[in-house]
Amino acid sequence: MQEIKSYLAPRSLDEAVKAMAAGDVTVFCGGTDLTPQTDSGAKRYGATLMNIRRIEGLSGIAEAGDSIRIGAATTVTEVRRDPLIARAAPILAEAAEHFASDQIRNAASLGGNICNASPAGDMINPLLVLDAAVELASWADGALRTRSVPLENFFTGPRRHVKRPDELLTAIVFRKPATDFVGWFRKSGPRPALEISTVSVGIGGNLSDGVFRNVRVAMGSVAPTPLRAHGVEAALEGRPLDADSIRAAVAAADADATPIDDVRASAWYRKHLVKVFTEEVLNHVLGN
Amino acid sequence: MSLETEINFTLNGRPVTVRVPVAMKTLTMLREVLGLTGTKYACGEGECGACTVKVDGRTLNSCLMHAVDCDGRELVTIEGLKSPAGMNPTQKAFVDHGAVQCGFCMPGMIIQADYLTDDDPQLTREQAQRGLEGNLCRCTGYTKVLDAVEAAVEAKRCGR
Amino acid sequence: MDQKVTAPTIEKKTLIGQRVKKPDAPDKAIGKTRYINDMVLPQMLIGKVLFAGRPHARIVSIDTAAAERLPGVHAVLTGKDAAGLRFGFVRDNAALKDKVRCEHDEIAAVAAESEEIARQAIGLIEVVYEDLPGVFTPEDGAREDAPQIHDNFPGNKSLYFEFSHGEVAAAEADSDFVVDNVFRPHHVTHCCMGTSCAIADFDHNGKLTIWTQTQYPYNYKMDLAPALGLQPGDIRVIQPPVGGAFGSKLDVYPYEPIAALLAKRTGRPVKVIYSREEEFKASPTRQPAIIHMRTGCTRDGTLTFRTADVLLDNGAYTSWGPTIPVIMMRTVSGHYRVPVVDFKAQAIYTNNPYAGSFRGYGNVQTTWATAQQMDMLADMVDMEPLAFHLKNSQVSGEITPQKSFLRECVLVECLETAAGASDYSRKRKEYAAARAEPGRYKKGIGLASSIHNAGGAKIHKSDGIGTILKVDDYARVTVITGASEIGQGIDAVITLIVAEELGVPLEHVLIVNNDSDIAPWDVGVHASRTTFIAGNGTRRAARKAKAQILAAAEKMLGEPADTLELRGGSVVRDACGTPLIKLDRLLRQMHFQAEPELVMVTDYYEPKSEPEGAKHVSDHSAAYSHAVHVAEITVDTLTGEITVDKITMAQDVGRVINRMGLEAQIEGGLAIGLGYALSENMLLDRGLLKNPCFRDYKLLTAPEMPPLDLHFIESDCAEGPYGAKGISELPTIVIAPAIANALYNATGVRVFDPPMSPEKVARAIDAQRQAAGG
Repeated sequence: MQEIKSYLAPRSLDEAVKAMAAGDVTVFCGGTDLTPQTDSGAKRYGATLMNIRRIEGLSGIAEAGDSIRIGAATTVTEVRRDPLIARAAPILAEAAEHFASDQIRNAASLGGNICNASPAGDMINPLLVLDAAVELASWADGALRTRSVPLENFFTGPRRHVKRPDELLTAIVFRKPATDFVGWFRKSGPRPALEISTVSVGIGGNLSDGVFRNVRVAMGSVAPTPLRAHGVEAALEGRPLDADSIRAAVAAADADATPIDDVRASAWYRKHLVKVFTEEVLNHVLGN
Repeated sequence: MSLETEINFTLNGRPVTVRVPVAMKTLTMLREVLGLTGTKYACGEGECGACTVKVDGRTLNSCLMHAVDCDGRELVTIEGLKSPAGMNPTQKAFVDHGAVQCGFCMPGMIIQADYLTDDDPQLTREQAQRGLEGNLCRCTGYTKVLDAVEAAVEAKRCGR
Repeated sequence: MDQKVTAPTIEKKTLIGQRVKKPDAPDKAIGKTRYINDMVLPQMLIGKVLFAGRPHARIVSIDTAAAERLPGVHAVLTGKDAAGLRFGFVRDNAALKDKVRCEHDEIAAVAAESEEIARQAIGLIEVVYEDLPGVFTPEDGAREDAPQIHDNFPGNKSLYFEFSHGEVAAAEADSDFVVDNVFRPHHVTHCCMGTSCAIADFDHNGKLTIWTQTQYPYNYKMDLAPALGLQPGDIRVIQPPVGGAFGSKLDVYPYEPIAALLAKRTGRPVKVIYSREEEFKASPTRQPAIIHMRTGCTRDGTLTFRTADVLLDNGAYTSWGPTIPVIMMRTVSGHYRVPVVDFKAQAIYTNNPYAGSFRGYGNVQTTWATAQQMDMLADMVDMEPLAFHLKNSQVSGEITPQKSFLRECVLVECLETAAGASDYSRKRKEYAAARAEPGRYKKGIGLASSIHNAGGAKIHKSDGIGTILKVDDYARVTVITGASEIGQGIDAVITLIVAEELGVPLEHVLIVNNDSDIAPWDVGVHASRTTFIAGNGTRRAARKAKAQILAAAEKMLGEPADTLELRGGSVVRDACGTPLIKLDRLLRQMHFQAEPELVMVTDYYEPKSEPEGAKHVSDHSAAYSHAVHVAEITVDTLTGEITVDKITMAQDVGRVINRMGLEAQIEGGLAIGLGYALSENMLLDRGLLKNPCFRDYKLLTAPEMPPLDLHFIESDCAEGPYGAKGISELPTIVIAPAIANALYNATGVRVFDPPMSPEKVARAIDAQRQAAGG
């Protein structure tokens, strides 16, 4: 095991990103992903271990203009119980409802679920559907810098993303969906929640006069990263949501998904489920 | 030696000051540093719930939590549920309803059940099932556990 | 005493069939119980094992120098330290190996001052292996050119069992219908919540004390001794509370002699405790099997014959797993009236993990096959399955071809009760008719049944138990018994029986059953035997004590002993309940009188069963029992997910002793059976376990436990305590095929290799759709 040289539990964001600028920092919040990875040797601790749970302003859910901002340290339980999320983004509440177990939801942070960059990350899927962006903060030239990266562009591979080691993910931001926004999320598994998704499908868009627009489709565990299924989106975009477009969407889902075999499921079963869930979610959206 | 740091927190209502290696987990601290062996290791990766403790009023898996993160917080373990007056209503319900067999998962199961019944005084059996999905038990098949949770809800409602 | 006149009478109240709490539950509920996993002894070292991590290899060299030099390391042992110390039924195992035969083979072990140092030391041991071609299925192992796993077991042949009765060819000629299938029950494991753990310590005279999770403390000494070069008499077995066992601790496994070898080398107590990953990889499994079964019947639904040709994946070593044919054949030959039987089972060594015993031992695998074939045959004959089952059901007094004497047999009552309570026949017809209709979700109902030994199983020379019972001056009763408590609740049963017989409060009964130097012989917790055997032993001992007490009361009170009774802590007149003297007072008077006496009795109970014998024709259990399960399910025909909506169960329990404990055992047994049926699966890839964690090895969780409708049929067993029979394995045995039959009822597909996972069911349904032309 690598030696940890210092432990930090900063109160301010400045303090945190300054430390990260100095290099080789392992960040934790709830620890629910970090601990199994360090225990198994899959991940090593850096020279500095930093607990970000005490940084002021890093957790909480708030409206900011026409957007909703969720602090990175906000727990999944907080998302699940938040009245604003329930009202404005029920698809996110639905994913939180089906996230791991109660004990994990109470500890796991939303930012951590994103930074873990698992293709099966359950909170990522609805955030892709909501077209969320992440805020990344760093310290450069004596000042706090932030940049915003669309979540869709965040992931580069399994457990890999565009966040630099000196950057801290501070928040997730998405525009409040319009009143005609419809969306739903479905994940598989014989257990209601305590399950690493075999696959998940989330679909959302604006449905008015029977026509589906601004469609965004996300799939989990069918590609090296959480996936925006552009083929499915194209099959639905600007079309009436009906049996024909649903059939086209299911066919596109088959093409978009490129799953692998692993201990949890075969590629065949994942593809099969993606098609089943695409149809199911669209039917749910239609109110069937 | 690995880096240690001193932390202060409240454990079962009493202040504690302890030095811990910064990578140590709360479960190890409880069992090996503080001698509170009621909280159990059964998987070490947050899948079984045997190590469940209450932190600042919410339950979590102590095997996943860095001990240093206890600093300034309030922990309740299975040893802290009982009062001088006796078992708390959840513990009593588990004993009375035959929910305890080998009992190894019970400290975590009871802490979680106690949290659920405190958190929602109207907790239904279905909600209890969902709330306990992070607690594995190999002996009981959960039926008597759920009976006990229902009884605990009732007992708390009657102020027992 | 002057108040005698006003003392209220004490009513006769029986505890039999009441709900009694487990005496150890309060300490467990407050986190006070000190499990073996929690134990720390002064000077204790931590032992850790280096596992091979490969399935088959020659060990070219081991370099332990760096590990030995690490500060805090006290000993490093390798195969040469266990040379010549072979153990196991066929002496094919050793604490530390000279060759790799499976992934979890123990190659080296260290004792160090902390877990951390021990882990580091393990990492410093350098082993050079030369990998050998492996054998991963019994079919491959049986091939002539197969790699040899043990030099002294040619052809990789392990144990072989057979039983036959009657002429199969003739019976087959008389059959109008024959079903013929191959069933492949799989590898699953116990998943005790408390991981495997042992603590060993030697005294100056070379006597070993071992704290262990064993569920068979006395034969354990005999089995452990050769692994250490000790005499069994030089081993003291202490059994602290354990986090479950379920059969997994019914043999010696290498970590136990490893702890002892390390303790011997270091002169200090050594604790070996597994992580969950080690537990998955290195603890025993349920025995997988390939069962080729054929069953025939005539047009009118009368069974004509049953054959089973079984191939067992022995794994690398021989523990209890490959002995399951002893029980398998009892069900093949004895479940329903089967006039002609042929059973053969060959175990073949492979480089896979090896199996031990696991609740439902052998019968889980067999019933998976027999109960599905009963369902298939009923359809072939075009009989309503309940009628088909009833037609072939035995009744009290029948004797099976293997000479199991079904003295009290209530199979018919079990069938009628479970089928009636669940409205089985009507629903089965309705769901089958709805199969072809459109719709994603399909309902199904399935019935299955089995037989199991319910009064022990005399596979050892003795199936008995010793009991010592003493009553002190304060009327506190101590029962010193061989019966082990592993969470199953024998403590509550013993307490209840003593309180019933001696009229003392439940809280005044103390059980001592965790030290082989104190408690007398018992075979162990297995074979659904403990309530039956220990219940009888306790009752007999309590009655001896009662006779002594009442004889003394007769002398003191001048009333005949046979008119007296012990009730509510007093001696009372049996007829009217009038208390005559407090029991504790009487006991003190007995003790301090001119001819003093103490109440201390002993009992040895040996059930009236016959040894199994090499030919397997014997009445090997003192009782047999049946259970019938009806499962109602909903199948998502797209995802393949099975939701169990309800289970209705009727089981012959003989007599309910502790109702709460009985229910708990049945519910828990069902949960293990449900996991076996639906989700649990050890995924082995060329001998390597791919899912050694709860994330990917899926135990049933609370939301998946269906509502249960439990019916206890009381057949009043003549040999059992108060009429009771053993109960705890049947719930695990019967449920999986009930679900398989329900799956067929819902969808028309059958799964022959459990678990019925969503993917497997989805594939089967998809294949069925393809075959039907889309």
